[in-house]
Amino acid sequence: MSDISNKDFQFIDINTIQAERITAPRYSYWASVFRVFFRKKVNIILITLFIILIVSSFVIPAFAPYRPYENITDAKTFNLSPQKAMDYFGGFSFKWIFGTGQMGNSIFYGIMSSARTSLVLAVICAAINMTIGIILGAVWGYSKKFDAVMLVIYNIIANVPYILVISVLVYIIGAGFWSFIFALTITGWLGIAYFFRTQVLIIRDREYSLASRCLGTPIPRMISKNILPFLTSVIVTLLATELPSYISMEVFLSYIGVGLSAEVPSLGRMIQEAQASFLIYPWEFWPPVAIAAAITIILYVLGQNLADASDPRTHM
Amino acid sequence: MKRYMLKRILFSIFSLLVVVTTVMLLVYTLIERSVIFQMDDVWNKKNANDRTAYEYIQYQKFGYLEYNDYASFLKTKYEALYGADYTKNENFKADLAAIQDENTYMENASVQEFLAQNEANGYKKTYLQPVRSTAGKVKKGGNAYLLAVRELSPFVRLWNYITHLITFETTNDVKDENLTDRYIRVEKDPYSGLFAVVGSGTTHKYLLYFDGRFPFIHQNFMHLNLGTSFTKYRGSEITQVISTPTGDQIKKQTQYPAQIGTDQYVTTAINFHTLRYNPNPRNAKEMEQYPDQYTAYSYHIGGLSMIENSFVAGIIATLIAYMLGLPLGIMMARHKDGLLDKIGNGYIIFIMAVPALAYIFIFASIGTSLFGLPYKFANAQVKVLAYFLPIISLSLPQVGGLMKWMRRYMIDQMNSDYVKFARAEGLSEGEIFRKHISKNAMIYLVHGIPANILGCLTGAIITERVYAMPGVGNLLTAAINGHDNGIIVAVTVFYTSLSIISVILGDLLLAKYDPRISLSSSKGGGR
Repeated sequence: MSDISNKDFQFIDINTIQAERITAPRYSYWASVFRVFFRKKVNIILITLFIILIVSSFVIPAFAPYRPYENITDAKTFNLSPQKAMDYFGGFSFKWIFGTGQMGNSIFYGIMSSARTSLVLAVICAAINMTIGIILGAVWGYSKKFDAVMLVIYNIIANVPYILVISVLVYIIGAGFWSFIFALTITGWLGIAYFFRTQVLIIRDREYSLASRCLGTPIPRMISKNILPFLTSVIVTLLATELPSYISMEVFLSYIGVGLSAEVPSLGRMIQEAQASFLIYPWEFWPPVAIAAAITIILYVLGQNLADASDPRTHM
Repeated sequence: MKRYMLKRILFSIFSLLVVVTTVMLLVYTLIERSVIFQMDDVWNKKNANDRTAYEYIQYQKFGYLEYNDYASFLKTKYEALYGADYTKNENFKADLAAIQDENTYMENASVQEFLAQNEANGYKKTYLQPVRSTAGKVKKGGNAYLLAVRELSPFVRLWNYITHLITFETTNDVKDENLTDRYIRVEKDPYSGLFAVVGSGTTHKYLLYFDGRFPFIHQNFMHLNLGTSFTKYRGSEITQVISTPTGDQIKKQTQYPAQIGTDQYVTTAINFHTLRYNPNPRNAKEMEQYPDQYTAYSYHIGGLSMIENSFVAGIIATLIAYMLGLPLGIMMARHKDGLLDKIGNGYIIFIMAVPALAYIFIFASIGTSLFGLPYKFANAQVKVLAYFLPIISLSLPQVGGLMKWMRRYMIDQMNSDYVKFARAEGLSEGEIFRKHISKNAMIYLVHGIPANILGCLTGAIITERVYAMPGVGNLLTAAINGHDNGIIVAVTVFYTSLSIISVILGDLLLAKYDPRISLSSSKGGGR
């Protein structure tokens, strides 16, 4: 025991910060979200499909632009089934894989350009509506004075048929791509804001929020630390239903005749033009329906699964 | 509670008014009114002043403005003076020709009279100068017009609309000095064999009567006038349009009012309960047939009206949806992650994600090709079969929605303390699900029931279009495309009233279903 001396030891101060540290496993929220998300094989398959869809709907129209009136002078090319179209245009070609439309247009190029329009439209509309809706909804839920005013406005605007609002706007500012987006977003955020207001209301008065408020936490910190983390999965769920809904909405509005203008290729217009004779020329009708359904289902399922994954309770 | 309801109703009326005003402003002021001529061939064919005059005719028809025309003013003036062949009168010809000279027309006495009369009523003089070529000859369509025009201000329009919304029939409706015998009394009705309230001096002869057609008792005391169609149903009131049957005329053996008691029978489709006052003198034949001036009539028409079509299809679909959706949702929750749950979820995703248009066409093609159901409404051999596909198309998405929410709320409730308690008490799983959880889960769904039922009255846009079903769903879209402003306003008022009523009914039903919920007092210390 004699060979132990004082210099073998080192003096350590009391370190309060070190003492407070809890040795728990590292937890990163988003890393866990994606770990849970990619655990499901179906998500990987769907994401692959979605990437293929996005790439083809952006790349194919870039290299092979859709020209709806290229064969308009040749009446023999109208309404050809895929087999007949390939015979007529000389052999197999991807261009005629779904036959020709009412004006000899290529259905395949048509749906690819239209899919691009639909995707861009959905992303832009969702981005605008979600941003305005979430910000205003958060304030709406948080401030009692604002709540009283907004409820009156909501009750009134929600009762004006949105088809009317959209068609009036389309008449006033024209039927172009951007004016259509304007028409969809001018009142579209209201529903999101209302939904979000209710969610904020529920969480605002929870005990932990109340405790925070008693401790004097400033409002921005309350929103960013207490409320928003809880609402992440709600926002993702909302996104999962909003994104496909704009594609459905465009299809619906084009069908009733207040959609995009004729120059913009869109799935709704293609479906609308083909629906009258969908029993006679099914190849004109089902491809745009199938692509619209594929986009919406993929977006919806991916969104729902992401929403499930973004709920911290699933991270165990 | 009463005070609360009164407050709710007053607030509802207020928001209805604001909605009407908003919609009126939208359709009458925001849309450039000249769009109505975009597809108009008549407008295209007309030139110069003729075209402008035609525009005024159309604007008046569409409810934008009111105007008086100098030519028709002269017509009434000279007709009163000289009878039917006033056109041969020299003064008339001179007065009519006076406006063709832009320099001297104001000196004409008739023109001055016309302007003075109209300007007193707030009309403004609108003179369309003759359009001449360089040689001085009037160009094609370039004849001068003299009009007095009055724009309708939004407030006047709103006021007119509200004051004409509900009208009551009185014995002073008929403006005829010779009609001295004015009454409303109960009489024996020869057509139904029961009693009826009959009026004289009122617009309708029968004010309250019974017949064999749903709802069996009909009244003419009060009329709801939501608005008048300007184009599609030319001048008809929208409430009439949607409630008039769309089928064929039904002929019956019956008697004219004056022939009752005799043995003279006729086979006709005339519905004598609908007799209305006709100011024109009766001709010899009508003298025999009718005892009084009530000679205007409508026919007995079979089939369902537009609103009945929509409602019948909608209500059956809603019933099916509740009968299928709720039990399926409960079963999915009970066997969570089982096969049924997976299939059900797949279905829900399909219905939620796929555009409505797409799945309706999928149902349509399956129904027509596999089951041979009629596709278009008008082509159906058996009329009842034509309702099958629309009802299926309407109910399947509703089933999906109800399944989704029922399952969600059931699962939320499954870990509640009362469920654990019930299990501890030894209740069977079936009993717990049926009697305890589903009742609590239903609380969230009860609120939407009135909205679902009343929503059937508004019809379905896509379904009715795809199957060419004569319903009310496409009124609004058709009106928007045809710039039929009267219908747009009427339909909006109708939709808004229904949605307001269904929210109030939903709240009441919810309070009735769940006694813990109280509408009038705000709990939780007020937020």
